[in-house]
Amino acid sequence: MVDQVATLPSSREFNPWPVGIFICLLVLACLFLAPTIGVMLSSIKTTREIAEGGLWDIPTRLFLGNFVEVLANPAVHRYFLNTFLVTVPATAASIALGVLAGYVFSKLPFWGSNLLFLVLISGMFFPPQVILIPLFQFFNSLGLIDTLWPIIFIHTALGIPICTLLMRNFFATVPNSLREAAILEGANEFQVLTRVALPLSLPALAVLATLQFTWIWNDFLWPLIFTQSDEKRTIMVGIVNLKGQYSVAWGVQGALSLVASLPTLIVFLFFQRYFIKGMTMGAVKG
Amino acid sequence: MEKSAWIWRVVFLAAPVAVFSILVLWPLFSSFFYSFTNWNGFNPNYKFVGFDNYAKIWTDRLFLNAIINTFVWMVAAILLPTLLGLGFALLIDSNVPGGKVFKSIFYLPICLSAVVVGQIWTWIYQPDWGLLNTLINFFLAEPLNYPWLAKPDTSLGSVIIAWSWQQTGLSMVIYLAGLTSISEELLEVCEIEGTSTWQKIRLVLVPLLTPATVVVIALSVINSLKGFDILYIMTGGGPFHSSDTLAMHMYNESFKKYMMGYGSAISVVLFLLALVIIGIYFRELRRLDEIYG
Repeated sequence: MVDQVATLPSSREFNPWPVGIFICLLVLACLFLAPTIGVMLSSIKTTREIAEGGLWDIPTRLFLGNFVEVLANPAVHRYFLNTFLVTVPATAASIALGVLAGYVFSKLPFWGSNLLFLVLISGMFFPPQVILIPLFQFFNSLGLIDTLWPIIFIHTALGIPICTLLMRNFFATVPNSLREAAILEGANEFQVLTRVALPLSLPALAVLATLQFTWIWNDFLWPLIFTQSDEKRTIMVGIVNLKGQYSVAWGVQGALSLVASLPTLIVFLFFQRYFIKGMTMGAVKG
Repeated sequence: MEKSAWIWRVVFLAAPVAVFSILVLWPLFSSFFYSFTNWNGFNPNYKFVGFDNYAKIWTDRLFLNAIINTFVWMVAAILLPTLLGLGFALLIDSNVPGGKVFKSIFYLPICLSAVVVGQIWTWIYQPDWGLLNTLINFFLAEPLNYPWLAKPDTSLGSVIIAWSWQQTGLSMVIYLAGLTSISEELLEVCEIEGTSTWQKIRLVLVPLLTPATVVVIALSVINSLKGFDILYIMTGGGPFHSSDTLAMHMYNESFKKYMMGYGSAISVVLFLLALVIIGIYFRELRRLDEIYG
């Protein structure tokens, strides 16, 4: 800001830096976008065009057959439905649990609450493979293998650390005087939480909703372990399975990837601010 | 008053603590338990085998191979996204026009799934029409149909580049957040003193970004330990186990060969590795707190 004001009136010397930096960034951005653009290009070409002209040429005409093929495939509908059935409840549940725990750690601390907080947070750091086998054993004994339940439960549990952390940090910014005033008026803690603290925490809830939605939607490991039949597959495991069916139909594969990424891309486009904030908040405070 | 506060603490904490204990803490400890058995995943009549699984680790050539690959993977997965992220952040922070758009472009891959990133990059490395070989052939007389992912020499490195492409955006936004916290006055002093841009970066910005660097490196380490999906999609650990990491090896032993006891022992090693890293991370954080307040 300061630089711009200072350089605008005086054109004494030509400063090559901004132009150089801009060109540098432009080249890097093109390199960074190339992989994604390749998939987009492939999705609007026929298999024949790809076979003849290569995947990376600019197509002469728009071919939507790949998307028609993908969107008409009943398996894709099922994968989408399953993924929503996992992602929405797990996102909601993990945030709800994080709100409850975060409220206690922020507004009702007690002896040992810091230690308990650290134990909950530590869950963020461990590779999921560490708990894979016992969880498989556990849900197997409950007869829940090849259902969506284990995936919902596990994502709820694995979301507790980040949700608790962010909600605790956010509730810390809600003035204690507001809570005390509400208590004096005869409100109990639950009413303080739902009527005072939560309405002030909508930005934090938005951050968590975008983060959790994206992570759970994109997850591959848990549905890979816990689902076996095609009926129960989520979209990410599903598109890997469909690869065999469309082994040389590169265009269909590209369209599949795009369609599968659409919900998270939409979330990214509209809630980018929250997404980045959540990533940096979770990281810096970790 | 105090009594009712305790009731609310218990009511509020009951569900989160219960869910977390049952689905994260208890499995964590069970892993230790299973690592001393020969359980195959289905037969309830497993036996205790003492430290046999851990003894086996040291004779398992594939395990040692996986350890080496994990370290290669971790070092590269730390260096590349950290350096690239720092570079991008410095470029974008220089008030360049369209900075926001560039930021979004570099950040976009983070919201793609490992499955999709894996597929995108598998196409780039495709021997016949992949982008990489197409670009190389542009400069060569003889077409090079090198199968990057199917050769043991290049499989791991190729996946690392794909992984870095996805992770760089994360390091970049953390560095950008760190850069905005550096005071304008300090930068103005640099301006007045006539420091060169390179001096400013080397002597002022990078040292002041130390807290951001600690966070970036810690996240890179943690994420790279979790790195499984993209390897599974792109190489499946192959060819000839050339891209097997600990997480991949553990999956193969447990869910392909059904040696859950041995798989548990590998996961315990993975856990201890993560524990050491988390310990270093928290120590560094505390040290930074003391220095920077």
